[in-house]
Amino acid sequence: MSHRLLSVGFFYIHKDRGHRGTVKTHSSSLLALALLALLCGLGISDVFAQEAGTSPVDFPYAGNRTAVWIVAQLHILFAAFILGAPIFVVISEWLGYRKQDPRYDRMAKEVTKVTVILFSMTAVTGGLFIFVLLAAYPQFTTSFINQFYVVFAIIYPALFIAETILMYAYLYTWDIWKGEKKGRHIALGVLLNLVCLLILFVINGPTSFMNTPPKAEGVSPQDFLAAATLWDKIANQSWFPLSLHRIDGNVAFGGFIAGMIAAYMYMAAKTKEERAYYDWMGFVAIWIAVGGSLLQPFTGLLLAYEMCDYDFSFCPYMMADQLSMFFEMQGIMIGLLFLGINYYSWLSVKRIEGADNVRISVLAPIVVVILLPVTMWVMNSWWIPDPMSLAFLLPLTMSPFLLGRFVPVTVSARTVIKIGFIIMLISDAVWLTPAGFVATGTDMPDEMKLPEGWDYLSSMPAKLSAIFTLVFVTIVNFVLYNRAIKQGTILWGKIDFAAQFVLIFLAFTSTWIMGLMGAVRSLLKKYFHTYSLVSDLSAESFTPTLSYSAGWITAITVFFIAVVTVAALIAIRPSVVQAKEPEGNPVPVPVK
Amino acid sequence: MWNLFKKLAVGLVVGGGLAAIANSQEVPVSFQLLFFIIALVGAVVFALLDAKTLNVMNGGMSFFAVTVFWVFLISVCVAGASFLPQFDPEDEKAKIGKLLDKERKQSAQGKTEELIARAKALDQQVKALEDRLKGIGGGQAVAMTQAPSATEKPAASGGGGAGDIMKVGEEQWQLQECYNCHKLRGEGGKKRGPELDNIGTLLTVEEIQQKIADPKSFMAEGYDKEWQKGIMPDKFKDLMDPKEMLALATWLGSFKNVAVNTPKPIKKK
Repeated sequence: MSHRLLSVGFFYIHKDRGHRGTVKTHSSSLLALALLALLCGLGISDVFAQEAGTSPVDFPYAGNRTAVWIVAQLHILFAAFILGAPIFVVISEWLGYRKQDPRYDRMAKEVTKVTVILFSMTAVTGGLFIFVLLAAYPQFTTSFINQFYVVFAIIYPALFIAETILMYAYLYTWDIWKGEKKGRHIALGVLLNLVCLLILFVINGPTSFMNTPPKAEGVSPQDFLAAATLWDKIANQSWFPLSLHRIDGNVAFGGFIAGMIAAYMYMAAKTKEERAYYDWMGFVAIWIAVGGSLLQPFTGLLLAYEMCDYDFSFCPYMMADQLSMFFEMQGIMIGLLFLGINYYSWLSVKRIEGADNVRISVLAPIVVVILLPVTMWVMNSWWIPDPMSLAFLLPLTMSPFLLGRFVPVTVSARTVIKIGFIIMLISDAVWLTPAGFVATGTDMPDEMKLPEGWDYLSSMPAKLSAIFTLVFVTIVNFVLYNRAIKQGTILWGKIDFAAQFVLIFLAFTSTWIMGLMGAVRSLLKKYFHTYSLVSDLSAESFTPTLSYSAGWITAITVFFIAVVTVAALIAIRPSVVQAKEPEGNPVPVPVK
Repeated sequence: MWNLFKKLAVGLVVGGGLAAIANSQEVPVSFQLLFFIIALVGAVVFALLDAKTLNVMNGGMSFFAVTVFWVFLISVCVAGASFLPQFDPEDEKAKIGKLLDKERKQSAQGKTEELIARAKALDQQVKALEDRLKGIGGGQAVAMTQAPSATEKPAASGGGGAGDIMKVGEEQWQLQECYNCHKLRGEGGKKRGPELDNIGTLLTVEEIQQKIADPKSFMAEGYDKEWQKGIMPDKFKDLMDPKEMLALATWLGSFKNVAVNTPKPIKKK
């Protein structure tokens, strides 16, 4: 802004107020006015800096919004790991204690060491997030913090400090509280998890508030907010479903990342014993991750359901309009994730001696084959939350396990798994079939639409049926794997080396999906900072392209995994090396 | 390698068959391509299932293999996302620009921009005056300063004719994305809300306005579930000013196509 413009601006204001004079007067006072206008301009600059959506800074290359997005997503990934890993760790420690298997204890301790390093990264990225947010959106950030002052100033820091103390205490009491005191250590781990869960629920309040601020029929959002209590703001409509979705997501994420760490350590292992241990660690980590992953589609659906119930315009925005191809990409990645999980399961079965003799009732492959069309029919007839759908589907899915023993015909595990893969591919095809391959469904030309008779493939019941089938096939494979373990002998360390690449692939895919869904959740606010309450007046308030978003999501994923890899190498490698080297006899030192 | 070729051949046959069936049913080419790609992915999956066991690699080889694998994963993710149809943000920017126009103008930033625009115009006027003063003389200068200001606003467009109201109404239909749920003139709508081509016959402009401001005030016949669930968002009174809402209601009220079966609205409040 030039001084000349500022001065003329000030001149204009005077003129508008009726202070008319000669041009000579105007010209002679121009310099004086320029000085005054500069002061006035500085005043405007201050106001400008405080305006919602405007910013005194402009992050180079990426822009303000992308800068906030990158740091926020990185923080969420680290936070997801440090909140998810303790659940994984304490389960593992407890299993080790119960089974008296030291491998579980070693794995739990190793993952805890990595978690402690990443805990620092969480704090660093969290601090950075606040700085970037304050710099990019000063007024919004201030008003947002004011809305949740008690949370940001008291509850969250107190919990974070408690988590820090507990996490370090948990790690440093590991070797002290063993044997008879192990129960005490596990209890400390449980306490740590409780605090982690509390943090998750507390911080999800402000996060979900931005998407679904509390409202009431017939009252303007501003009026309702003015009268709302802190609890009203926290317990908004998407708070609980988001928290549930993040809990199982974090467990799965912790498992997948632990699996990747195991893969790297397996690749770097020098001895058979080490290889056997990290093979086992990868296997356990993945099955804990799968436990979380199986729940994820359903808690995710619950979250989407609540969002759509809050404001139905979210639904077409996600599924038919600007974000429709984001969900297409999500379908591709989740489809690949499930294929990866089941391929790992296949490779695991291959290294079990005697697995060829494992058989299962013919009912299992029959249900696997018919499940997709039957679920589609049921979902079309009794859509959620009609309980009639469960009345059909529960008996059908339970039948191979409950009635299987009464059916004498059996099929080999290998055949069932292969049938499962075919059905998974068909389910993926159903999931990936949109109403039309267009960026938005608003003005879709007829020649791009699925023709009548095929359009049921693009319906929500079809999508849900596909997810349901993917989950069921994975459960069947898990059952088969367990039977193989019971009937055969696992050759730990003998797994196909390709399995390590599958573990890396699963960690990458799950991190990428988290990044994608993080972007989707944030974009759902549309052109608002807080939906329907605070508009984002900046020029960046629009939906970016999938291509642009995918580039950044990939960069974030790569950075995160690189940091985790370094953390794992720092935390675990020295202990592996140390364990291999015998302490030896002390060298005698001559006494003076 | 033979295993891979065999599986790929099966994948090509299955994919080709699926694409051919889809083509015979007039399914668009993009879907045929999707089915074909999934068949090929299936071939790769089955080739992997029956592939020979990969031997343990040493440290250096592992590092190289992992690096190549990472490059592959990154490439697939970035390229895959770019391969899908891309939404053009410019479409949305124009809409959001209109929606936030008032708010932006009311903001300090907007006021500053307006001030700058006015200052620019005035700056030019001052320059012109100075030039004329030099050439003509002081007597005429006063008269010049009293000439109509270039910065004076033209007559408010709000007082325009019915055409303007209709234009604003149609614009609101687009900006508020009503077409996502309602079909009108054969376009939009996904059966979530009633078709509105005959709404002008069934409701007055005031009633349409009431329905927009308070979606629970009327229920379209046969849309009991949607009405109970509150599918129509209760937010438009906060997003539109009364003039815009009136314009939208007036524009909708002009649709009186009795050939279209717009469901009868039932007054609820």
